[in-house]
Amino acid sequence: MYVRVFAALWLLACAGLALLAWGFEAPFAYDPVGPRAYPLLLLALMGCGALWLLIKPKGEATPPFDWAMASRALLCVLALLAYALLFETLGFVIATALAGFALGLLFNGRLWPSVISGVLLGVLLYGLFDYLLDVPLPLGLLRLLES
Amino acid sequence: METLNFLMQGFDVATRPTNLLVALFGAFVGTVVGLLPGLGPINGVALLLPLAFALGLPPETALILLAAVYLGCEYGGRISAILLNVPGDAAAVMTTLDGYPLARQGKAGIALSLSAVSSFIGSIIATCGVVLFAPLLAKWAVAFGPAEYFVLMIFAIACLGGMVGDKPVKTLMAALMGLALATVGVDSTTGVYRFTFGSVSLSDGIQFVIVVIGFFSVSEILLMLEKTHSGQQAVKASGRLLFNMKELCLTFWTMVRSAVAGFVIGTLPGAGATIASAMTYMSEKRMAGAKGRFGDGDLRGLAAPESANNASACGSLIPMLTLGVPGSGTTAVMIGALTLYNITPGPLLFEQQPDVVWGLIASLFIGNVILLVMNIPLVGLFSRMLAVPNWVLVPAITVISMVGVYSVHSTTFDLVLMVGLGVFGYLLRKLDFPLSALILGFVLGEMMEDNLRRALSISNGELGILWGSPITLALWALTVAMLAMPGLRWYLKRRRGNVVEAQA
Repeated sequence: MYVRVFAALWLLACAGLALLAWGFEAPFAYDPVGPRAYPLLLLALMGCGALWLLIKPKGEATPPFDWAMASRALLCVLALLAYALLFETLGFVIATALAGFALGLLFNGRLWPSVISGVLLGVLLYGLFDYLLDVPLPLGLLRLLES
Repeated sequence: METLNFLMQGFDVATRPTNLLVALFGAFVGTVVGLLPGLGPINGVALLLPLAFALGLPPETALILLAAVYLGCEYGGRISAILLNVPGDAAAVMTTLDGYPLARQGKAGIALSLSAVSSFIGSIIATCGVVLFAPLLAKWAVAFGPAEYFVLMIFAIACLGGMVGDKPVKTLMAALMGLALATVGVDSTTGVYRFTFGSVSLSDGIQFVIVVIGFFSVSEILLMLEKTHSGQQAVKASGRLLFNMKELCLTFWTMVRSAVAGFVIGTLPGAGATIASAMTYMSEKRMAGAKGRFGDGDLRGLAAPESANNASACGSLIPMLTLGVPGSGTTAVMIGALTLYNITPGPLLFEQQPDVVWGLIASLFIGNVILLVMNIPLVGLFSRMLAVPNWVLVPAITVISMVGVYSVHSTTFDLVLMVGLGVFGYLLRKLDFPLSALILGFVLGEMMEDNLRRALSISNGELGILWGSPITLALWALTVAMLAMPGLRWYLKRRRGNVVEAQA
């Protein structure tokens, strides 16, 4: 059942992208194929596949939707997104400490151990990457302390 | 003789102190990543690739690092399979069948040491195979033109669909998604922007590292969320730690046979270690007949898949090095690594970059010795790592993934894109689409389009060039055979089902 829903959405996406791809035209013809044919071919094949999954005679059993799991997954995605967005503004050390703490809690860690592991990750990995391995990381807020 | 000279040159490269150090480090990290349930060789290679790049390692060193990680994962996967009954990576599924019963019988030490030796023998035989066959194939592959390459890539994708088995449509869909993802960005021939949605960050295409880390690390984190409850006690390794001569003699020929079979399967583009270990296990079981105790702790059932999955890991380097077409998801990532260095893998690699190719091959020998030496005494340390709780492990994986992606372009956009792709990958995995096919498609995507368009430029738009030469015709025939396989298997199964029903 979920596969059918996905296939339907994917079919729509393919159609939309194909409309978009129709507009790819090169001002000069450099090669006989042009930039349009290959993406259109892929989208058409994918569309056929999605159609097959949609109308396939024998469907798979539908397990009940696990709301508890889905909400945890959503929380996890939000934590990751927040981490990605704040990575530069807050700086590596602070963002990592916060993300480490949040993910730690989400994966059933206890409160204080999660705090400690988050902070340790932030500080130790910053030292490892920035000083030992020469991978530059953003300082963010901590830059204020520096000046 | 020429080969031997090149091999010596390779050993020169591989024994430089930095390269030895990198191999040692890679072997250790690989074993750890491999033994952690859920994290496989693709994750290991994907996590270390951006680091290698950011550190400014020369290409041969980076490749040695990745190869050591790849091999290490194949060694590590068996540890959790034996002690926990949880395969550390997909290829170790067959190892659980006899490994875990052995551990339950108090023979964990024997199982661990014997499987380390099987892994070693499998890798060494396969590496010898690489030395013998890779240069030959490379010479032959120089004759490939764009049309042949295009058809070869279609064959590789068809192999995936034919071999992965029960879900050919989903596999092919996943490969197509990868191919389509690769079309994002500016078209290299005409300069037209495709699917960039007006974003500057996408004009250059989606970075390879972002795709790999998003699809494998981020989606893995989300999947691990579901496994937080099922904690299983590891079996303590006790009793005799080393196998004896009798046990080695019993399994020696099994290892050799499985190594050869694994190597051959590994060289096929698209068919990887998982298939190799399953096939050798089945054939050994059939050969042992009623005398074997396969399934409740037969040493041969442990040796066969371990030897085969390492052999196929090495074997899959052959299509990668000679044709530039990956033989497995992990080698697809390694090809991506080479393209980061502006090295295009393919038959000319052997002439233009002998240091890279032979350094890599020599490092396989060295890496294997390191892994064998490391794995027997350190097994206690490794098995203790299974006890690292998820609430420490997951944040650590997350941070390393973020740093890896950030180190390529230093933009927030890339980080967000990685999370987005990760969520998409998670949904695909929940729906049973094989992601390794997607990565293979993504890596092949640009090459495939380039070769198609180059071929059609040569022929001035005439499609006939795609099946004009004997090589292309043979490849098309093989492709059709591969695509027919799922249908054939379905038909056979149904017929057998009918026979059973008729007898009942």
